[in-house]
Amino acid sequence: MKDKTRGNQGDPCLPGGLIPAEQWTLPEASVRRSLKDAVRHALTQLKAVSRAEEPFESMDELPELSAGQQRRLAPEPDYARQAEAIACNLQHARSEGALSRKVTCLVAPPFSGLQQALGWLSQPGQSVLNDDGAVWTVITPPETLLFSEQEAKAWWDKQDVSRPWVIPELADFWLRCLSGLALVRELFRRIASDAVGPGIVGCSSWCWRYWEHYLEGTHMSPWTPAPLDSERLGQWLTYLASGHDRAPVIARMADDGLYVLPVAEADSTGKNKRQKKRKRSSFLRDLAGESRGNPGVALAIWQRSLRARPEEDASPDEDDEKAGRQGRSVDCWVVPLKRLSLPTIPQSKTSVMGFVLHGLLLHNGLDVASLEVVTGVPAYKLSLVLSRLERAEIVRCDQVDERWHLTPIGYPTVRRHLQSWGFPVDPF
Amino acid sequence: MMEDLGIREAMATITGQALLHALGVIIVASLVMLVIQKLFPRVAEKLGGKPRLYLLASVPLLRLVIILATIVVVVPILVKPSFENMVAIFGALALALGFAFKDYANSLIAGIVTLYEMPYRPGDWIEVEGQYGEVRAINTRAAEIVTPDDTVVIIPHNKLWNSLIANDNDGTDNLMCVTDFYLEANHDISQVRELLREVAFTSPRTKTWQPVRVIVFNKPWGMHYRLKAYPYDPKEQFQFISELTARGAEELARQGVRFVSVPVTAG
Repeated sequence: MKDKTRGNQGDPCLPGGLIPAEQWTLPEASVRRSLKDAVRHALTQLKAVSRAEEPFESMDELPELSAGQQRRLAPEPDYARQAEAIACNLQHARSEGALSRKVTCLVAPPFSGLQQALGWLSQPGQSVLNDDGAVWTVITPPETLLFSEQEAKAWWDKQDVSRPWVIPELADFWLRCLSGLALVRELFRRIASDAVGPGIVGCSSWCWRYWEHYLEGTHMSPWTPAPLDSERLGQWLTYLASGHDRAPVIARMADDGLYVLPVAEADSTGKNKRQKKRKRSSFLRDLAGESRGNPGVALAIWQRSLRARPEEDASPDEDDEKAGRQGRSVDCWVVPLKRLSLPTIPQSKTSVMGFVLHGLLLHNGLDVASLEVVTGVPAYKLSLVLSRLERAEIVRCDQVDERWHLTPIGYPTVRRHLQSWGFPVDPF
Repeated sequence: MMEDLGIREAMATITGQALLHALGVIIVASLVMLVIQKLFPRVAEKLGGKPRLYLLASVPLLRLVIILATIVVVVPILVKPSFENMVAIFGALALALGFAFKDYANSLIAGIVTLYEMPYRPGDWIEVEGQYGEVRAINTRAAEIVTPDDTVVIIPHNKLWNSLIANDNDGTDNLMCVTDFYLEANHDISQVRELLREVAFTSPRTKTWQPVRVIVFNKPWGMHYRLKAYPYDPKEQFQFISELTARGAEELARQGVRFVSVPVTAG
């Protein structure tokens, strides 16, 4: 188990650690990139540039990564380690007096991995314990979310919230309809009146924004993972690809050959002075700006932008194994953001698309029946809109629970569009 | 009269070539204005929220700039820009406008004041003398509004001097909608207020970061509730009110709270 006495500000799996939500700031992107984004967004709305017509210089000469290479160079994060880091951060904050409440609210934008990490807290065999040395109990949402006040009280009475408990995602506990609010309202009532034991409430930033306005005057002082600026993003991507025991990945821009990884700080520890003088690309800065410091979104764009070296592509799996065994650095190439074909929102003259996208973000994904309840749009119209959005790579359907979710790579454009259409958006 | 004002001297320098030149400038300026007036609203329709309002508001301003620039360019082409000539021309112009086109000039000047004071801008929802609608265009003499029934109403700018103008969103995309509920007395008022607040909060059209308020009045016939909330887009206001009315009525009926009904006298 990790040393819990120190804060995990420097833990590479959670760069920057946890911070109070009001300290969150948007990572800076270059002015050039910001202007380009604004123009591109306006043109997209005007349909001046469609995906098919968009000038796009093909990167076909650089092969895409094989599945094995992608697993090695840009793998999914280790949520178990992230859970440990979160628990350590919270303990550290508590020991320093920064956290005084029994229940801690952790708010993060979609795809930040918070929900998955909090879900690991109660996994058997996990070494993550709470302050009292006990294992966390995960509270899972009920089958149906439509409750009266009395039914909601009865449901919470049945949950064991006297011992340390965790809700990985609060958005799973409500529906935006008259009888769908009772569970969360009752939970907040109990938290405010100190009627529950120590706990952690994980919540999507969109859901939190809604409830913050609904429960006006309630101050829960949420915490959030620090935003990934270019430096943290570079450290995190390096950590994902290299772990602790492998050599750092070397990634260079496909157009001008400038270095993206390793980041300057890690590189300066090297013996070779030539490495210190490497010219670095602004890709990570732009990626941090494009993803608004959101690790899941940044990773999705990063995965799409990576290309393999042609000579490596000949026998990728064999090469992967060899590289893994020898622990040597692996080169890959990065397609510039301007030449990446990212999803765009299909044009629509009705409000239905906005309702669907906003509903999915508020509830962390929904099935069609629930979507019908929260948007008031009939199922046949929803199916049409959802299939359009799926073709545009904006949403995807989880085959297991048949819930529709946004894709991480489509999230930036969805947020931008919802904001320009006037919908309430999250602060992150 | 013309000699007294020195108009003849001022006009003596005008040649046929100068007239053609000036005409060319005016035609080009008119074409540019026409393009702006047609193109900008179309582009604005495709944009949502604030960009749409900004683009619409820029149309009359750009037109004013073009008109002023045209005057500045055309006058020196036609007459020598000396002090005497300017006094002569503008004096004659003022006389003509003052007597022959008094009302027209009044509207023109009010139009310029409109651009400066901005009591309404394109994209605003205004009510003038009982006519409610969205400002579609601000022309030189009059503003055009489109009512919810898709009727275009022309409002001369000189209404600005002596009419009350109600502007619902005042250049922003925040437009408060009020939904009325007329209920019989003898019910739990706090419960109904809470229920109506939730009706607004659970509407997908509600701007939840803006305040949602429920006001109640005691009337001789019962209780009058006013649910105040903001839709995400001012253009959605009628859909928004309809939705809140329907869902509010449905839920109130479920709670056993009855609406008042006024007896209708035939004939």
